[in-house]
Amino acid sequence: MGLMGSLVQAELRKTTTTSLWWALLIPTVLIALGGGLLSGLFGQSFVEVFSSSEAEQLSDALGVTPDQWKFALLGIGRTINLATLFPLVFGALAIANEVGTRTITTTFLTAPSRVHAMSAKLLVYALWGAIYGLAIIGSTALGVVVTSKTGQMPDAGGWAMLALVCVLASILMTMFGVGVGALVSNSAGVVVLLIMYFLVVENVLQFGLRLSGTPETVIGFLPNGSVDGLTGTVAVDLFLAKAGVVPEEGVYWLRVIAGAGGAQAWWLSGLIFLAWVVAAFGGGWARMTSKDIT
Amino acid sequence: MHDGSGLIAVQNLTKQFGPVTAVQNLSFTVSPGSVTGFLGPNGAGKTTTLRMLLGLVKPTSGTATINGRPFHQLGQPGRVVGAVLEAQGFHPNRTARNHLRVYAAAIGVPDAQADQVLGLVGLGSAADRAAGGFSLGMKQRLAVATALLGDPQVLVLDEPANGLDPEGIAWLRNFLQSFARMGRTVLISSHLLAEVEQTVDQVVIVSRGQTMYYGPLEHLRRQQQRRVFVQPSDVGALATALQAEGVQALEQLPDGRLAVSGVDTRHVADVALRAGVSIYGIQEEQADLEQIFFRLTSGQYAGQAPVSPYQQQGGWA
Repeated sequence: MGLMGSLVQAELRKTTTTSLWWALLIPTVLIALGGGLLSGLFGQSFVEVFSSSEAEQLSDALGVTPDQWKFALLGIGRTINLATLFPLVFGALAIANEVGTRTITTTFLTAPSRVHAMSAKLLVYALWGAIYGLAIIGSTALGVVVTSKTGQMPDAGGWAMLALVCVLASILMTMFGVGVGALVSNSAGVVVLLIMYFLVVENVLQFGLRLSGTPETVIGFLPNGSVDGLTGTVAVDLFLAKAGVVPEEGVYWLRVIAGAGGAQAWWLSGLIFLAWVVAAFGGGWARMTSKDIT
Repeated sequence: MHDGSGLIAVQNLTKQFGPVTAVQNLSFTVSPGSVTGFLGPNGAGKTTTLRMLLGLVKPTSGTATINGRPFHQLGQPGRVVGAVLEAQGFHPNRTARNHLRVYAAAIGVPDAQADQVLGLVGLGSAADRAAGGFSLGMKQRLAVATALLGDPQVLVLDEPANGLDPEGIAWLRNFLQSFARMGRTVLISSHLLAEVEQTVDQVVIVSRGQTMYYGPLEHLRRQQQRRVFVQPSDVGALATALQAEGVQALEQLPDGRLAVSGVDTRHVADVALRAGVSIYGIQEEQADLEQIFFRLTSGQYAGQAPVSPYQQQGGWA
C-alpha cells in the first residue's frame, strides 16, 4: 500500500473507531425518513383537494390532471437540504475535533507532510459525504413510497437524478464543513456557527433580500441558496416536466417551496456551491498547512 | 532521502512569536547511542525547539534536522522519529488499541505492532479501554507506545516524566537507556536536572532561548567547585594565612565559619596548623549538579527573594 493508501486507511479508522458517524447518521436517517413521509402526505393531500368536484373545473381549465402534480417532489428537495446539515456537522468536526483533542499533533507527526494528511482527510470525508447522501436519498424515498401512490412519485430516471444531486450535495456539504472546521477549529463553535448560518442566518438574509426587492438570482449565489438550488432545481424540473402549463407566478412559488428560489440550473448551482466549498476548504487547508502547532 | 545516521542537528535556530523571542540562535547536535538531556527552566524555549525539530512549528531562521533532513523530507517520518509531546492528545472515546491502530495504519506498520507496543509500555490489560478514562501516567505510557509504533531510530520526549509515578519513571529510565544502547538516539527535555540526571549521558542546557552548556554530563560534574567550611579559633588569622598562601576565594559566613573555595580540607588544615589556629570543625562540600544547573539558568525570571523571618538553615540535601 502506498503512502496515501496508508493515510487514507488511518483517516478511515479515525472515523470508524468513535461513535460520531452513527450518532449523526441516526438523526440523518430519521429526518430524511420523516421528511419523505411528510412529502408523500403533502403530495397526496394536494391530489385529493384538486380531485374534489369543485377543484376539478379549475384543473380542467388549466389543462392538467391533478395526479400529475407530483407535489411530493418539492418536499423531497426540502428534506435533502435539511438532512444534509448532518454530514455538514460530521465534516465540520473532522479537523476541529482533532485540534480539540490534540490528536492533530500525532496526525502530523505520522504523515509525510501536512498536505498528505489533509489530502487523506479530503478523500475519506468525501466518501463519508457520499455514504450520508445515499442514506438520505434512501430514507427519503422510503418515506415517500410509504405515504404516496405511484403516480405521485418520480420515475426511475427522476429518482436517479435525485439520488445523484443528493449525493453530490451531501459530499459538498461535508467538504464545506471540513473547511470551515479547519478555519474555526473549535468543535462547539463550528457546529453552532454552521447550524445557525444554514438554518437561521441565511433564511433571514434571503427573506430580507426578497423584501428589499433585490433580484432573486442573488439568492442562488449564497451558500445555502446554491446547495439548496442543486437539489431543489432538480425537484422543480421533475415536477414541471409532468405538470403541464404552470403560470409564471406558480413556478416562482414552486421554486421557493422546493428551496430553489433564485437558483441557477442544478449543475450551475452545484458549481456555485463548489466555489464556496473551494473557498472554505482552501482557507482551512492554507491554515492547517502553515499553522504552528503549539 | 535521509542518511540513517540517527543524528539530530540544530543550527542557529531562532523562533519569534510576535514580539517574543522563544528561541534565539540555538545550536547543538545529538549523537546516536546516548541519551541527551535537553534542560532549561520552563519558558526557556525547549518545547518550541522540539516542535521545530518535528516540523510542527516553522522556525523564523536556522535549521533543525534529523538524519540530515528537515522533518518533512524524511519520507515516512513515523519510522524515523517517535515523539512524546505535551501537545499530544487522545480522543477520549477511542480505545488505546484503536488509537494505536489508527497511527499504525498511518505509518504503514502491521496492526500487530499496536499490541506489541501496548505490551511494551505495560498497557496490555487496558488495550480496550477508552483513553479518556486513563490516568495521567497511563496517558503518558500510551504516548510512549505511540512514539514507538514505527520502531523509530530517534526518540524525542518533551518532559516525559510529568504525570508518571516513580515506578513509571524508573521504567522509562531503563527503557531509554537500553534504547540508546542499541545505537539509537534519545533526546529528552526536562526543567529539572535531578529528574534526568541518572538517565542522560549528554546535556544541552538552555536558558532564555540560548545554549548555556552543551556536552557530556561528566564534564559538567568536573567543573563543579569544592568548598571547605571551616570553624577556626581565629577567623582573621586563618584568613590572613590562607591569603598569604594565595587562596583568595574566601567568604566569612554569618555563623562564624569560613568558606574556602578551590582547595581541599587537608590544605586548609595544614595552613591552620602553621598559623597556630585551632580548628573546631571542618567539612568539605561539593556543589551538586543542580546548583550548577541553577547557576547556568538563573536569571530568566529574576525575582526578589522573599524577606523571611527565619534564617535559612543548611542548603540542598
